[in-house]
Amino acid sequence: MRNSGLFNDHVKRLLGCLAGGVVLALMVGNQEGVQRDFGYAFRAAIFSPRLVVFLGFGLALFVAITYWSRISPYFVRPGARPLAAGAAAVVASYGLLHWTDSNQVTGGKLGALSSAVSGTDGISSFTRTFFGSVVPGTPWLLLVVVVALGVVSLVLRLPVLAWLAAGLGLLVGVWGYIAQSAVSDYLKTADHSTGAQVAILGYAAIASGCFVIARSQTDQADTVGFIERVFGWRPGFPLAVLGTAVGLVALLTATWFSPADRNPHLSGMTNLFSGEGLSAISSAYLSWLVWVIFVVALALAFAATYLSRQAFSWASIVIGLGAVVLTLTTMHEFSSIGGKSGFDGANGPWQNIGAGPWMLCGAFTMFAGAGWIALRQGRRVDPAAPTVVAKAGSNLNQVLIIVVLAGALFYPPTATQFWQTVIVAEIGIYVLLAIGLNVVVGWAGLLDLGFIAFYAIGSYTTAYLTGTLPIKPPDWLHLTPLAAIPFAIVICLLAGLALGAPTLRLRGDYLAIVTLGFGEIIRIVAVNADKVTNGPKGAFGIPQPVIHLGPIHIQWGQSALQFWYLLLVLIGVTVLLFNRLEHSRLGRAWAAIREDEVAAQATGINTTRVKLLAFAIGASTSGVAGVFFASQIGYINPDNFLLNNSILVVAYVVFGGMGSLPGAIAGAATLTWLPEFLKDQVPAEDRQMWIGAVILLMMIFRPAGLIPAKRRAAELSGFDGVKSAETVAVPAGEGM
Amino acid sequence: MSLLEVDDIEVRYGAIRALKGVSFNVEEGEVVALLGANGAGKTTTQKTVSGMMTPALGQIRFDGERIDGVPAHTLIHRGICHVPEGRRVFPRMSVAENLDMGAFRFKRPDLHVLARVFEMFPRLKERETQLAGTLSGGEQQMLAIGRALMGKPRLLLLDEPSMGLAPLIVKQIFDIVREINASGVTVLIVEQNAAQALGLANRGYVLETGEVVLSGSGQELLADDRVRAAYLGEEIATS
Repeated sequence: MRNSGLFNDHVKRLLGCLAGGVVLALMVGNQEGVQRDFGYAFRAAIFSPRLVVFLGFGLALFVAITYWSRISPYFVRPGARPLAAGAAAVVASYGLLHWTDSNQVTGGKLGALSSAVSGTDGISSFTRTFFGSVVPGTPWLLLVVVVALGVVSLVLRLPVLAWLAAGLGLLVGVWGYIAQSAVSDYLKTADHSTGAQVAILGYAAIASGCFVIARSQTDQADTVGFIERVFGWRPGFPLAVLGTAVGLVALLTATWFSPADRNPHLSGMTNLFSGEGLSAISSAYLSWLVWVIFVVALALAFAATYLSRQAFSWASIVIGLGAVVLTLTTMHEFSSIGGKSGFDGANGPWQNIGAGPWMLCGAFTMFAGAGWIALRQGRRVDPAAPTVVAKAGSNLNQVLIIVVLAGALFYPPTATQFWQTVIVAEIGIYVLLAIGLNVVVGWAGLLDLGFIAFYAIGSYTTAYLTGTLPIKPPDWLHLTPLAAIPFAIVICLLAGLALGAPTLRLRGDYLAIVTLGFGEIIRIVAVNADKVTNGPKGAFGIPQPVIHLGPIHIQWGQSALQFWYLLLVLIGVTVLLFNRLEHSRLGRAWAAIREDEVAAQATGINTTRVKLLAFAIGASTSGVAGVFFASQIGYINPDNFLLNNSILVVAYVVFGGMGSLPGAIAGAATLTWLPEFLKDQVPAEDRQMWIGAVILLMMIFRPAGLIPAKRRAAELSGFDGVKSAETVAVPAGEGM
Repeated sequence: MSLLEVDDIEVRYGAIRALKGVSFNVEEGEVVALLGANGAGKTTTQKTVSGMMTPALGQIRFDGERIDGVPAHTLIHRGICHVPEGRRVFPRMSVAENLDMGAFRFKRPDLHVLARVFEMFPRLKERETQLAGTLSGGEQQMLAIGRALMGKPRLLLLDEPSMGLAPLIVKQIFDIVREINASGVTVLIVEQNAAQALGLANRGYVLETGEVVLSGSGQELLADDRVRAAYLGEEIATS
């Protein structure tokens, strides 16, 4: 009887998980019934293939809950996690991502492309075999074989199998990548699909996991230690490697100039532009100079990181940055010439440039960055130390900064129009807002649910100062949007003080409710004060920013890209200032208040003033974002400033890791990117569910956020790794 | 002139009168103990002296100047440092960072004082980089006292330093308070552990429901029947 009891528990759990799957399947999908047929939605959910997917989720959950204690020892073995992550990436690439942007293939995902390619004769059999002309479903079969080999070798500790899996994984990844390239060459469309790239990265992860499995015999992976050893071996070395990889892709495979139907690689550029009046330096650059510079920059970067000589570091920085400038001028020149001679509808300077030169700029930036890191690390070496080579600490942060910077500078030009708009109007602006809110919520620990009000105030201030509200400014105060920034900062600062002064005696939940009310008040005033704000119609025709200083004249227009670089400057300045602020006296005072307000008071911190400053500084950042938003979009109305937006910004900060500046940036960027990304990948009605799932996973596996602040991490992990024998409970924190 | 003169102060929490006219004084270099049962007003008195609360009536003078109503973050510049009840270290800051915060009123911490604190509390030196929340209760109390010392106090306000600690640790803490006092810092200590506090104090005041009911030198109070009955749990034949 005892056995049957256990059996019953398992059955109950299995049925529960499956029932959960059915409920989820019912919840997603079209919920609208049909008149006189109220069971329509129900039947549509039950009889759609989606049900199988959800039952699969349920089954996986059951297995995970029931057998986790048996699975987990294998999961912490070296190589298991890269294997799992790689498999997940490949599954996502196969199931979710686009493999082509051509409208000749409906949907553009792997399945559709496979059936289209298998039946097309003009493509090589090498390519068609990958897409399943011989055995249907070949990509999935290959994945299953590779992963199964990896798992078996992990469980049974068979190095031979692991080597086999690693090699096979790499081959499959490369095969898929080449096959996809061949198809996109055949279809002759400029392609922004990411499926093949993600798949090859996933297979690379699987292969590296299998490589580790083959080489290692320990039971417990030391991931953090491994990363630290890799990044600590030679300062900036990973950056030099990454730069080489990106640069080679740019030089060998990426497109350099892409008006319709012309997608030459670097090798085709000389031919295309010969006799078109390209200057000597640019034509030399395109034919041979770029290779020389690339090799020199690469060699210098490696020399700088490996040998840690200052001279090499400086040379690497100078050559790297010089190469970026040279690439940019060449790009400008050939795109201008292309526009003038009207190559297949090329549209002029900075237009129709392919990803190649931009990627190369990124690579050169990374070489320069490697030099910079080597220089910084080299200086820290004790001259008395016996070793010549610098012993690097973890320079992971610096590497990440350089990679993010290179990406932020040179990725957006290669993105589609749609993504450029998303990068500016969603990602960029919300990153700025999250940085501001992080001061209030993350550093000072004050939960502000009305943050968007300051954004509104900044926007309306801009509208007023540019003369687009019914109430006009005096002539001497009629300003361009950029000149409005200081005013918006000051006004939002004052608004922050006005909100803060009466409410700061409140704590936690109470403060949140009052700020929530404040946000609504501002919005409702904007709706109802017709004579001042033009009510629900909002302000129209807010001019675009202009800089007019002596000989410099820059006019921002409709292109999202131009706004991106303006925004990047604003974000950069804010990040630099706030980074200083975090470690200043004020930053320490905020940390102390968040920890324990009474103790903070007892150590001589003027808690009221410090909290007010947090509000004011956060608010003024939001004001800057407001100015930018108003002048970029050109019209504003109260519907841009809903409570929902305030809550979203809080969610971004929490998701990224409260109190961590890189966390706020990463959180906002991820959660604004995800919905836009999922737009093409999943049915519209399922989108929120996927986002919810991502947030749930995040809260389970990284409860302190994407890039947690050190202190928060300690709080949530319950002070793990403590050596003290008599650990005591920590007094509960106030509010947030 | 006394260092601290508390003159007939009355403190209210809304309608409740927590202190109903408390007066006492602390001379320079003394240790003065405030005794009393729970709710007698000891902590309120201390919070009022340190500037965290404002008296409704009465005056407080420090060095002859009125300080009632002056906020805590200003008073600390006069050298009044408060070790609040329940230790209140910053749990997610390291020991070193906590000590650093104690010197917040200065541009940068005085390294001589830091060295002195570490000399006084070698345990803290050992755990310099550890998060304060991971320390034991006794270590946290040491850290709280060390943090207050970093502010270079003239008058140190200690609120129940023995709370929840083992007898051996309590003895250590009181030895250190004695040492601090010997180095010239005046101490006003609130305690329930009357035997320890009075053994240390030059003088003491006994509070009951917001009023001073008894005062005298430490030895006198220790010998007083009422004190013995109320705080030392001895059975005294009532005469």
